[in-house]
Amino acid sequence: MLHGGFMEGDAVMVAGSAGCGKTTLALQYLVNGVKLGEPGVYVTFEEMPDQIYRDAKNLGWDLRKLEEENKFRIVCTSPNLLLESEGESLLDESLRDIQPRRIVVDSLSHLAMFVKESELRREAYRLIMHLKTKGISSLLVWESPQMTGGSFAVTEVGLSFLVDCIVALKPVEIESSMRKALVVLKMRGSDHDKRLREFEITPTGIKIESAFTNYEGVITGSPRRVASEKFMDLFRGAAEKRK
Amino acid sequence: MLETLLASEVTGDLLVLFHRNPGLIDTLDSVARRIGRTGNSIEEDVRGLVNLGILKTRRIGRSEVLLLDRARDREVLDAIAKHLKNLEGVEKIDNTKF
Repeated sequence: MLHGGFMEGDAVMVAGSAGCGKTTLALQYLVNGVKLGEPGVYVTFEEMPDQIYRDAKNLGWDLRKLEEENKFRIVCTSPNLLLESEGESLLDESLRDIQPRRIVVDSLSHLAMFVKESELRREAYRLIMHLKTKGISSLLVWESPQMTGGSFAVTEVGLSFLVDCIVALKPVEIESSMRKALVVLKMRGSDHDKRLREFEITPTGIKIESAFTNYEGVITGSPRRVASEKFMDLFRGAAEKRK
Repeated sequence: MLETLLASEVTGDLLVLFHRNPGLIDTLDSVARRIGRTGNSIEEDVRGLVNLGILKTRRIGRSEVLLLDRARDREVLDAIAKHLKNLEGVEKIDNTKF
């Protein structure tokens, strides 16, 4: 979908509502990085590391072992500490210890609880540029409950303009069953797959499936079969009757 | 050292919290919240763990944060394991006596 993956040093936003696989995708991004020789740091504000270790283990990722090997770190903290600008930075020790090439912040939405809405964009910009200056690729998780409804906006505070790439995850109801959709909304400086693809969370992580080619309106929350598919169904029905 | 570690429930809760979550770096109040307590109620226990070297303090901007000394945590675990092994040994000797 990304025609070779995210670009080095880019800031990527993964947006979606609760339970749609943002954390799994973020962890997979770091674990794959370790496999490529790129250590990673996972910054969490709410979920405790022991839960993350457990959930990752269910997907076959032994994060404790990666930590022992100095290839991975989980930092669990409060958002206001990450934003502290005076003196030593919260991440300095991890940056020194494992020299990460990738970092995940789960989630950027939590920063909104500690800074005024008018300052959120500036603070997020400062964080992104701090990491970019150090040559670290970042994946920023954004909780966007509005994506479950009919309207579609990634963030309401203009953060989409700060990042180089946006991946949106969305649960969709199709024919009375809940499925998961993923789409790359933006990718600076590179071509990418524009189609909305189905994905599944398998025992080994996220697996991208085929595109929702037979449906339209999936992203707006009102999926319906495209006209050609409806006709095909009619023909198939007629052919069955003749038999 | 073991006496301090086993002295109170709060100290036990803090040890378990930091041992299970070695990447936790937070202020006293936030750490307290993560074990369902208030900053004031854990202050003394935190001081005890800092004095033992299990927890470290660091200044991040205007805030003082607490974090685990991973090396010291391993030492403490080894000491506890050794102590338990010794107790087991004593128990075995006692069992043979009776």
